[in-house]
Amino acid sequence: MKDFARAFLSRPGAILGLCVFAAIVAIALAAPFIFARGPFIIVGMPLLPPGAPGLPAGSDVLGRDMIAGLAFGARVSLLVGVTSTLVAAGIGVLLGAAAGYYGGLVDDLLMRVTEFFQIIPSFVLLMVLVAFLKPSLASTVIGIALVSWPQVARVARGEFMALRAREFVEAARTLGESDVHIIFAQILPNALPPIVVVSSMMVGSAILTESALSFLGLGDPNLMSWGSMIGGSRSAMWVAWWTTVLPGLAIMVTVLALNFVGDGLNAALHPRRHR
Amino acid sequence: MSGPDRNAQGVPLSIRGLHVALPPGADRALAVEDVSLDVGRNEIVCIVGESGSGKSVAAHAVMGLLPRGLRAAGGNILWNGVDLLAQSPEAMRRLRGREIAMIFQDPMAALNPVVPVGAQIAEQIRAHRAVSEHAARNEAGGLLEQMGLSAALLKAFPHQLSGGQRQRVMIAMALSLSPRLLIADEPTTALDVTTQAQILALIRRLQVERAMSVLFITHDFGVVADIADHVVVMRQGQVVESGTAKAVLGAPAHPYTRALLAAVPSGESMPPPAGGKTLVEVSRLAKRFHRGGLLARSAVTALDDVSLTLSRGETLGIVGESGSGKSTLARCVIRLLDPDAGAVLLDGADIAQMRPRALRPVRRRIQMVFQDPFSALNPRQTVEEIVTAGPRAHGEDMREARARAADMLSLVGLGPRALKRFPHEFSGGQRQRIGLARALMLRPEVLIADEPVSALDVTVQAQVLRLLDDVRRQMNLAMLFITHDMRVAAQICHRVMVMRRGRVIETGPTREVFAAPASDYTRALLAAMPGRRAV
Amino acid sequence: MNRLIYIATRLLKTGLVAVAVVLLSFFLIRLAPGDAAVVMAGQSGYADETFVKSLRAEYGLDQPLPVQLWKYVTAVAHGDLGTSYERREPVLKVILERLPNTLLLDAFALLLAMSGGIWLGALAARRPGSAGDAGVTVLSMLFHAVPQFWLGMMMVLVFSIWLAWLPPFGIATMGADYAGLARLADIARHMILPGVTLALYYLAGYARLTRTAMIEVAELDFVKTARAKGIGERQVARRHILRNALIPLVTYAGLQASILVGGSVLVENVFSWPGIGTLAYEAVNARDNPLLLGIFMVTALLVSLFNLITDISYSIADPRVEVGG
Repeated sequence: MKDFARAFLSRPGAILGLCVFAAIVAIALAAPFIFARGPFIIVGMPLLPPGAPGLPAGSDVLGRDMIAGLAFGARVSLLVGVTSTLVAAGIGVLLGAAAGYYGGLVDDLLMRVTEFFQIIPSFVLLMVLVAFLKPSLASTVIGIALVSWPQVARVARGEFMALRAREFVEAARTLGESDVHIIFAQILPNALPPIVVVSSMMVGSAILTESALSFLGLGDPNLMSWGSMIGGSRSAMWVAWWTTVLPGLAIMVTVLALNFVGDGLNAALHPRRHR
Repeated sequence: MSGPDRNAQGVPLSIRGLHVALPPGADRALAVEDVSLDVGRNEIVCIVGESGSGKSVAAHAVMGLLPRGLRAAGGNILWNGVDLLAQSPEAMRRLRGREIAMIFQDPMAALNPVVPVGAQIAEQIRAHRAVSEHAARNEAGGLLEQMGLSAALLKAFPHQLSGGQRQRVMIAMALSLSPRLLIADEPTTALDVTTQAQILALIRRLQVERAMSVLFITHDFGVVADIADHVVVMRQGQVVESGTAKAVLGAPAHPYTRALLAAVPSGESMPPPAGGKTLVEVSRLAKRFHRGGLLARSAVTALDDVSLTLSRGETLGIVGESGSGKSTLARCVIRLLDPDAGAVLLDGADIAQMRPRALRPVRRRIQMVFQDPFSALNPRQTVEEIVTAGPRAHGEDMREARARAADMLSLVGLGPRALKRFPHEFSGGQRQRIGLARALMLRPEVLIADEPVSALDVTVQAQVLRLLDDVRRQMNLAMLFITHDMRVAAQICHRVMVMRRGRVIETGPTREVFAAPASDYTRALLAAMPGRRAV
Repeated sequence: MNRLIYIATRLLKTGLVAVAVVLLSFFLIRLAPGDAAVVMAGQSGYADETFVKSLRAEYGLDQPLPVQLWKYVTAVAHGDLGTSYERREPVLKVILERLPNTLLLDAFALLLAMSGGIWLGALAARRPGSAGDAGVTVLSMLFHAVPQFWLGMMMVLVFSIWLAWLPPFGIATMGADYAGLARLADIARHMILPGVTLALYYLAGYARLTRTAMIEVAELDFVKTARAKGIGERQVARRHILRNALIPLVTYAGLQASILVGGSVLVENVFSWPGIGTLAYEAVNARDNPLLLGIFMVTALLVSLFNLITDISYSIADPRVEVGG
């Protein structure tokens, strides 16, 4: 653990990513207290530039406070990014573990399914899913989890397959340990590092996907998200750059921070695997 | 014909005081330290050493092909009087392949997988001579024939050839421009014992025919005895001893060389078994592995009609090279694998057919010690968790199990303080002791040892073998001992069974099999034993 | 022989994917809450009764599930993907009208991404750890973190609004009615911004993959053999390192194709490029579910066909192809 922390903290990108990410989490948590009236309330004239009195980030096409929208948008992005990844990781680890540990038919089946998901255009499938289920926070989370679990499953399967052949797992079998105990107590702790790395990267891509759905008008209409802010300001881009530039930057910075954290995790966890 | 001071004019290659520095942060500062050696005209010089001795680095330095991060930090490498360390990269390039050529350990990895071998040989020729592609291919065909291969193989890709064929292609390529020196870096290590002998004979023949010099890198004293005129023994980057093959093998001066050679048994082996009660009876075991998808399945036969018996208090050695099926046999006996056919009777009950529920309580009677001390212990568990895993799985009282774990660790030569530590804090030999303790915690009747010492160095090997034999005697265990190493088998087994390609070649008391092998294959295995001929 | 079996296996796989896509589509219709016919027509409530009825009859939605499935499968097999609610035209016809524009844009982007990415990656691999190498890594991280649709809008902001160099939207200048070469040049000018936007994300991926593959291959033994033969460094890099490093890139192109389609939906929308992507957006807004589902089916089939092609090229690039797996 100490080695891990040292390796992680020796990468400036990882520290920076972690700090930025923590700041965004803080903003998301604080948003309802700072902007008690919510992001949809009209506070002034439309399209006021940043720096206008009381509007550090300007106002949007309807005269709503951009800074409030950005703060509330962080809530949606993080919520969707984290929950959809947790759901996807849960499904992926369970199925990947079963396929990698037992092999045979279970494995064949899972591999075909993950290949299928790799081949079909998952974003189009996601659009269909969300449109059919009616756009909402839940359908976004379910949709993203549904198209991204195969990624975790592949990694988990690969790890379980490799670790299953390791002699300490064979030893556990000869001792008479049960499969459940072997999977969760012997293999999983060793398989976790790459799964954690993939999952951390998935949070970022889930945030990007959510923003794309919202941009196309397939997000939850009752929530202010960065994607819907950009989508709603498309016509204003010619006269008010800040309405599109700022939410886009927010997405980029968040995803970049997460990817730097993932990169740091990867570097910190990787050498141990080759011991 | 004496050490590094042979007549300088007659010596094409002369290494003087070579130092090669490792990158900062490595476990030592120099990979090669003050190494001097000569390779005379028309002679074969062997550099012998264990892994990490720097023998391969020294050879690569001659080629100017040191791995990234390593650099020559001093000394000279004189090639016909010219210092190679002072040459420009372009001059070295022109020298490589034309005057000095090299072949490597694993010919599969050493050949470009996506280029036909004929084109690879032709590329070598055309790198140094202005000939047409067509003429180069023709020459390549002739070379293959000299190596005892058909010229039709020119169009083959490396993966379509056998290991021996690939190494012959490598040699053909290396010799295509008639170099004056061939550097061979463990060229037979990846091959089976019969192919090994053929490749050695080929190198010997070509060396004589072409009157060239050979610098041969190996870890294997058996190979040294076969081929060397001169021997240089290296250890941790330094030369500990050098001289003629006869002198070094016959009367080693340095204690390290003596230790390497002394580990070879002097022909005395274990007494025949005491005649205990038969405990395990394996009959007509068969196992095939399937691979491939829906349309094209192929199967590899790993075990074919294998039978054996094992008595209490007896050690039966299963001997064979990799791919002989000996590990598959061990895993079928302990039901890590399900055999396709045959029976494994333990006290008359067939383990091979048992359902998982019935099998679990039986598992404690057969335990196993594994090959790789690094992967055999879960890196995320403490030694206590590892050693008490068996009792926990069988629902025993954990307080008592922990107390017994401390005793067990003492039995295998580790103190109870080891309990709270993690595997990575122990050496390879200590880890094997922990693995043995784990197996013994269940008070088994049968112990399967799968190459338990092959990953350990020579001195530690002897200690672990002694421990296994003591434990066998104290607990009256029936032991199945899997090994590729005849030398190890001779030290611990009462009887041996020789396997090849999934079949049993012969079985008998160790002393008899060693004294009068019944098959050519066993004879070849014995002949390949390190130092056999030197003793 | 091996290769024939390999290709046959891949063909079979592509067929299975196609079947699975159709089954999934059927399942999606059933998944939606409420009457499937209403779902097919559109959920917003303005689906008129006669249209819903005609749909019900068309798919036999009052019949048992297996019959429905069978009817659906045979209809799809005959190229009948249903009728677009909004346009009252066969879905397939609507899609095929727009498809060429999407293919043009995607092919341009893929070509740009591959050539640029491989070049950059090879450059970075030449000196691992150098400033150029770090630059490639940072760029690739950046382009993987930028929302593509937003990047497109920034392109418009910079190159069309501020600099006024390139047209901001469409496939051709409206009302200009160019012919011949002038028309091609006009389309090319319109393609630059959306093409580059789309390509940048994948370019970063190719650069990263080429770099890793080349560094890995350079460590392999046969590269050492090549040097031991006395071959020059340039030939070692080209003939031995790059040749082997390109093999995984072929497979990567296939895998990227499905993501490329998703990206082009967004980018087409930003640039009003009249392809499948803008069609999908229109379908979402009009709640035209048959059309949306049809777009999913057609793109899925196209991508799996593209994967078949890359798999076959892979078997040609690598003589070791393993059957199965």
